[in-house]
Amino acid sequence: MVNVYSARHYDSDRALYAAFEQATGIAVRVLPANAEQLLERLRAEGEATEADLVVAADAGNLWRIKEAGLLQNVTTPALEAGVPARLRDGDGAYWGFTKRARVIVYRKDAVQPAQVANYDDLANPRFRGQIVMRSSTNTYQLSTLASRIERLGAENARAWAAGVRANFVRDPQGSDTDQIKAVAAGEAQATLVNHYYHFRLMRSEDPADREVAAKTGIVFPDQAGAGTHINISGAGVTAHAKRRDRAVQLLEYLVSDEAQTLLAPMNVEFPIRPAIAPAPDLAALGAFKEEDIALGVLGRHQAEAARIFEEVGWR
Amino acid sequence: MFDPARVARFDGVAIFAALATLICAAPAIAVFALALTRSDGGADFAGGLLRDGAIGTLSLMLAGGLGAIVFGATSAWLVGLCRFPGRSVFEWLLVAPLAAPSYILAYAYASLTWSGGPIPIPIAGFWGAAFVYAIGLYPYVYLAGRAAFVSQSSGALEAARTLGARPAQVFWRVALPLARPAIAAGGALAMMEIAADYGAAHHFGLTTLSTAVFRAWYAHGSPGMALQISAVLLAGAILFLMVERRARGRASFANASRGRETPRYRLSPLSSAAAFLFCAALATFGALLPLAWLLRLALLHANVEDIVQPFVNSMMLSSGGALVTLVLAASIAAAARRTGAFGKASLYAAAMGYAAPGAVLAMGALALFGAAREAGWVGGLGAGLALTALIWSYAARFASAGVQPIDAGLARLSKGLDSSARTLGAGPWRRFLHVDLPIAAPSLAAAALILFVEILKELPATLILRPFDFDTLAVKAYAYASDERLLEAAAPALLIFVAGLLPILVLSRGIGVRRVAT
Repeated sequence: MVNVYSARHYDSDRALYAAFEQATGIAVRVLPANAEQLLERLRAEGEATEADLVVAADAGNLWRIKEAGLLQNVTTPALEAGVPARLRDGDGAYWGFTKRARVIVYRKDAVQPAQVANYDDLANPRFRGQIVMRSSTNTYQLSTLASRIERLGAENARAWAAGVRANFVRDPQGSDTDQIKAVAAGEAQATLVNHYYHFRLMRSEDPADREVAAKTGIVFPDQAGAGTHINISGAGVTAHAKRRDRAVQLLEYLVSDEAQTLLAPMNVEFPIRPAIAPAPDLAALGAFKEEDIALGVLGRHQAEAARIFEEVGWR
Repeated sequence: MFDPARVARFDGVAIFAALATLICAAPAIAVFALALTRSDGGADFAGGLLRDGAIGTLSLMLAGGLGAIVFGATSAWLVGLCRFPGRSVFEWLLVAPLAAPSYILAYAYASLTWSGGPIPIPIAGFWGAAFVYAIGLYPYVYLAGRAAFVSQSSGALEAARTLGARPAQVFWRVALPLARPAIAAGGALAMMEIAADYGAAHHFGLTTLSTAVFRAWYAHGSPGMALQISAVLLAGAILFLMVERRARGRASFANASRGRETPRYRLSPLSSAAAFLFCAALATFGALLPLAWLLRLALLHANVEDIVQPFVNSMMLSSGGALVTLVLAASIAAAARRTGAFGKASLYAAAMGYAAPGAVLAMGALALFGAAREAGWVGGLGAGLALTALIWSYAARFASAGVQPIDAGLARLSKGLDSSARTLGAGPWRRFLHVDLPIAAPSLAAAALILFVEILKELPATLILRPFDFDTLAVKAYAYASDERLLEAAAPALLIFVAGLLPILVLSRGIGVRRVAT
């Protein structure tokens, strides 16, 4: 048996754990909840915790759990070979096992992809009153701005956030999917979302969703510049894991060829290594340039990012 | 001098109630303690968040709460004391929105009315949220109001009629003032629900104290600041209850004993049609329309997920949690009637949690567990302990939902009755079991119903305190909805509705039958 606290609620992960159980005979027990709340539970449980592995979406969340001293450093050859250096923690506290891209979604009949080729375009005054955005309480927004703080500094990040804020159609409401729907309905020209939300609409059983996807296009921004912002889902072994070896075994399994190949088509995320092909509809978009920063910095800049969002009035 | 009455105040019931109060208030008290001790930066943005959050929460409580009161009181009067086509169906159907969690209603209305949805009037922003709260929470007022109207002294109503008052005059001049404590209690519950809600307010992009809590916690990474904003919310709840009770004032004691059944007003054809349309609109927008939409989404999604075990878990937790909370709440309410200032204080203390987001109380419960663990009293948070902490959090969160209706029911207990029982030599437990409880029986039933459904819908505390591999319907629905998979979320959300409707039907009919019997 091995116990997992997971902030990912995906059915694909269940399938993955089942496959692990099948292969090793080790049963996986899961407690899915929010990353921030799992952190509080781990904190209260201290050394008495039952959890062996923590899984979270967003590098910032993983960083916070590490900073709270609730993860232990683990390094094995399989992990090092499986996860590119910038997609893991330098000390080995957490390891990425899927990638997601923060992409611009635009309305096909009103906007040329070239007009939204860069994140900067979202702050361009030509889109005044034509941009919708999700709340900045959302961790993906925080990480997007955090990466900008890392590359270009806080002043640049503030100017960008203020520029985008000035282009809002309305105050942020709803989810990533709601932003895409607003663009499709003509309420706005463009937005910023995680790539898989668009692909899910494309694959949806609801014809209305597929229509939304058909009316909108995806751009991987900053291809001529620093590259598209990338985030990870990752996992780390808890500081007080009772079944450390099994937790490491599960962690290694998550980044193995077998798990990566299994995961790719189910969840439209990118596999952690380029060697594994993503889902066919995702692969059809072709390769793209990824922003080259160590993801550990995202968490470090998140508090500042939140502050900047607060200052420019983008809640 | 020796005063037997004084001694009698601290009887067994009162001691049990004091214990119950402590249990219900402990997680909230832990939140206060944490708020004082934990600081992890972010003070510079806190002022703005707090100010905007307070404004947002108060205006939503006002708009949504008043809406719920108008909807609930009007429908309670119509169904309770008038006769019109469909009345007997509306009697229970009007309670249905109670089974819908606010966040599910918010998601359903967002997908129904936003950006290319089938209804082109967007239910969004402040007024959208106020609408969702009013239409989803009016049953609190309806339930309390109807019970009050139905058990009102027929004498007062008949006297008014004999004096030639028209139905509307009777409503405004006699029935409504008599039912005011109950309606106020229902309205207070609805308003505190609004204060505690995170899901709907966040989805609609509003800044309230609850969304500020999570903004401080999630975005600013400052749980300490989140706790401090929560402490404001908890203190605000006490203040709110004090104001509400003061406003209710002596009306609590004005309710007379029951008389014969009051004949229902026969409404004119035009009024009947208006009454029908009004009730139909409430049931439609509060339950039928979002239900139908969820059903459509659920049917679109071919795969049937495993929802049997979550259903069983939900039922177990809700019944167990409701029972525990009901016992605690009943003793608190009964003791509060007898023990003056101490009782009032316990009433407020137990009620704090109702205005706080469940996740915050869960953090309080976790801190208590952490302290107990460090003291060496308990080990890890295994399944048994996790479920205990969870039920404890439910009691802390929802005690008020039980205390309020029971207290309103006990308002009918005249001081004389208690004194008579005492003179006849009945001890505190006998008076509690044989006088208080039977008198409050309809309110107890209503309280049980509300508690069951509340716990059925409860999400954040369940999410963080449950054991491994233990899902409830609300957790299932949330897991998919938070992952923006509404199709998959629809089936468990529908089941919450259905599971909540069953006890609503039983108990709601029970209240109806009681009227005929008396």
